[in-house]
Amino acid sequence: MMAALIEISRLDYVYLDGTPALFDVNVTIGEQEFIAFIGQNGSGKTTFSKCLNGLLRPTNGSVTVDGIDTRSKGVIKQLVTKVGYVFQNPDHQLFNDSVEREIAYGPRNIGLPESEVKARVQEAAAVAGVGPDHFATHPFFLTKGLRQRVAIASILALKPRTIIVDEPTTGQDMPQSIEVMNFLQRLWKEEGHTIIIITHEMSIVARYAQRVIALGQGRVLLDGPTREVFSRPDILKQTFVEPPQITRLGQALNPPLPRDVLTVEEMQIAFKGALKQH
Amino acid sequence: MTNGPDELRPARLLIVRGMTIMAAESVPVGVRAPKMRKTLLGYVPIVSPFYDYHPVTRLAMYIFFGVAPVFIDLPEVNVVLLLITIGLLLWGKVDLRRLRIYLPLIATVAMFMFTMVFIFPGQDPSYTPIRIGPATIYYQPVFFTFASYWRLMAMLFGTILYFSTNRERDMLVALRAIRLPFIASYVVGLSIRAAGMFMEDFRTIREAEQARGLDTSAMKLSDQAKLYMMYLIPLFSIALRRADEISNALFARGYTLTGQVEGGGRRSDYILNQYQMTTKDWGWIVIFMALFVAAAVAQYGFGLFRLVNSPLNIYLRSLLGIP
Amino acid sequence: MTIAVAIKDLEWKYENTTQFALRKVNLEISENTFLGIVGANEQGKTTLVSCIKGLIPHSFNGVYRGSVEVFGQAVKETSGLHLAREVGLVFADPEAQFTAMTVEEELVFGLENVGYDINKIRERLEWAAEVTQIGNLLDKSPYDISGGQKQRVAIACVLAMDPRIVIMDEPTSMIDPLGKQFIFDILRKLKEEGNRTIIVVEHNIEQLAPLSDQLALIHEGQIVKVAPPDEFFADPQSLIAQGVYPPEVAIFAGWLHSQGYLPDASPIPRDLAEAVAAAQTALKMGSG
Repeated sequence: MMAALIEISRLDYVYLDGTPALFDVNVTIGEQEFIAFIGQNGSGKTTFSKCLNGLLRPTNGSVTVDGIDTRSKGVIKQLVTKVGYVFQNPDHQLFNDSVEREIAYGPRNIGLPESEVKARVQEAAAVAGVGPDHFATHPFFLTKGLRQRVAIASILALKPRTIIVDEPTTGQDMPQSIEVMNFLQRLWKEEGHTIIIITHEMSIVARYAQRVIALGQGRVLLDGPTREVFSRPDILKQTFVEPPQITRLGQALNPPLPRDVLTVEEMQIAFKGALKQH
Repeated sequence: MTNGPDELRPARLLIVRGMTIMAAESVPVGVRAPKMRKTLLGYVPIVSPFYDYHPVTRLAMYIFFGVAPVFIDLPEVNVVLLLITIGLLLWGKVDLRRLRIYLPLIATVAMFMFTMVFIFPGQDPSYTPIRIGPATIYYQPVFFTFASYWRLMAMLFGTILYFSTNRERDMLVALRAIRLPFIASYVVGLSIRAAGMFMEDFRTIREAEQARGLDTSAMKLSDQAKLYMMYLIPLFSIALRRADEISNALFARGYTLTGQVEGGGRRSDYILNQYQMTTKDWGWIVIFMALFVAAAVAQYGFGLFRLVNSPLNIYLRSLLGIP
Repeated sequence: MTIAVAIKDLEWKYENTTQFALRKVNLEISENTFLGIVGANEQGKTTLVSCIKGLIPHSFNGVYRGSVEVFGQAVKETSGLHLAREVGLVFADPEAQFTAMTVEEELVFGLENVGYDINKIRERLEWAAEVTQIGNLLDKSPYDISGGQKQRVAIACVLAMDPRIVIMDEPTSMIDPLGKQFIFDILRKLKEEGNRTIIVVEHNIEQLAPLSDQLALIHEGQIVKVAPPDEFFADPQSLIAQGVYPPEVAIFAGWLHSQGYLPDASPIPRDLAEAVAAAQTALKMGSG
């Protein structure tokens, strides 16, 4: 059994003005997982992800991160070293006047000694692909892609085991999306992080995520391996999500094609297999 | 790509091939039928007797309740106005529970004002000192602060009344009806929107900072103040980028800030056209304007509302033996 | 067939840049057709539609060569207001297209600018609200509604002016799937009405292809391919090399062709329904 990094138990969340957002959520997130949160807007997926690092505290129930209850007082500095959160718009997360200071911001906040801070900045920038020639630049003047990488580096500098990325590929073309996702995949496979992405792009989910949690109207509708989740379009419909087009092709011609194809390559293999059976 | 984790799921949910599915029918997370709707500057009731009146009438009411207290020093009169305002809120079907968000503001202002007058009473030989235990307070500045506080509260509630009984379109119509120059009402609308977007961005930035270990509850007040300066950087980046895009969108829709119309001719005002003034509207506008002018005249012509006329003041002074 | 947009040898370079964003672009768009524009980011798609709309050169400084004509009038020489009546443009970011306090005011503003009377304004307002299904949002603040709703309001504002050419620049890239559906439904409705020229820039090729009469690929500031969808997807590998991923079913169908499971003459499917039919044919053919 894998070690649990985050335990979510009977989580309810109600906003200050009384709007309920989450209802009885029970999820366990383990080491080195690659998870996608999917669901329509308003389903609670963003609220849920913010409960995972203490940004939001449960109304009822509990969220325990590596043994720390997020409702405890004064644990923010510890929580951010365990769960990192990269927001959708890099502009919301760049508040310093140089890239170097930006990446150093997190480590300085948690009180690390300057020598350690410097080392982390170098390391995080290298992993995220932010060249040292940008260190003195004001973030406002960087391209969108670089700003996103600086945002990611700023989170990596805190060395969290779990990294949540909100909409990593929105507004990007396929080559850019693939670049970002391959980067996240490397963090998962080679560095051993647990990666959680919140996204609407099902073909990206199919290609990269090994587990999918689908939320609808504040509840977890589905939680399991990607292949299994996409083979249940009837339930996904409740949260206005459709499996990728190639998956739907298989579902329309099932049998003899399978219901849980994730990529074109898999469909090619499945097709040949279906022919052999005739 | 490997299949997902094999852990056991909680028993009350169906387990199908290692995947958890909601067993019960999907119960929608309950939402009460809303009675109030959020606007940019407050909450307004969905239904209210106020909506039977033209927005200009409601604006006239605001000019009285929100501005007339400037002329009134007497705390008694301001408290009465305040109570009338609250009565109007109730009559207007405004859910008073929503106004709880103003409580911290009211308490902070009170604490601030009374702390200030306690620490800095000002020097004047005519001030009467009163000993309370080890501390000394001075009657005149304290009473003045007390009266000023109620004046502020009357104005605040007058403003709350306006923003709780006027939807965005009502405020807009009122500005147009009083023939405010086109560009002015346009700028007012834009500023209100910008303020709203600012608040939204502010909240997100706050969350992003927290995600990097910023723990405001553990910070000194002076450090928290320095923090607010830091928000300017991202807020301005976002605002600048947005302004650029908005100006393109404006061009795309043929916007002219002068309000001129293509080919000359008069500009129609569709929205204003939807509202009609009735006799009761004119009646109330006259009443409110008259009350407003009367208050000004009473104060500056006859000194009717000056502190010396306050019964409470007179009573306390007699108690303390001040002439 | 009347030509709605005629672009001849268009070149554009933004000021303070070294490269030309558009290099000798030639394109003719027929009236009442649906053109989809695809391409990787930063290749010139937004620049191209900005030129058709007249944003370039009116709102931007730079070097402009060649010509863009909309129904025979040169865009460079037409006023912003007049262009707004002929060409509508919806942008990608739903947050950055509104300035009014209510949705209704937003819709009505452009109509007042062109000098319509109250009745005509009401007529256009009701029609635009109907097509985009925003009737229940009219007295809300455009700031206070969801992203998908905001985008529909933006579309309604453009449609209210009744332009003969409607351009949308990545209208769904920042919208959730349900919102995306609404918007593509609106595009479908507009296409069925058949009395407007529609130009849509999109990354979501899966939904764009079935609607398009023609697809244009922009790469490094030039139009490298213009063709109806089935012809456009005939060589998926070259498209992928230029940063454009055909719909998954089109890639799969391309493979079926290359393996001989589908006759060369059969067209590449544009959507799921056509793909299902093609796959059925291929299964039959393959199993002899």
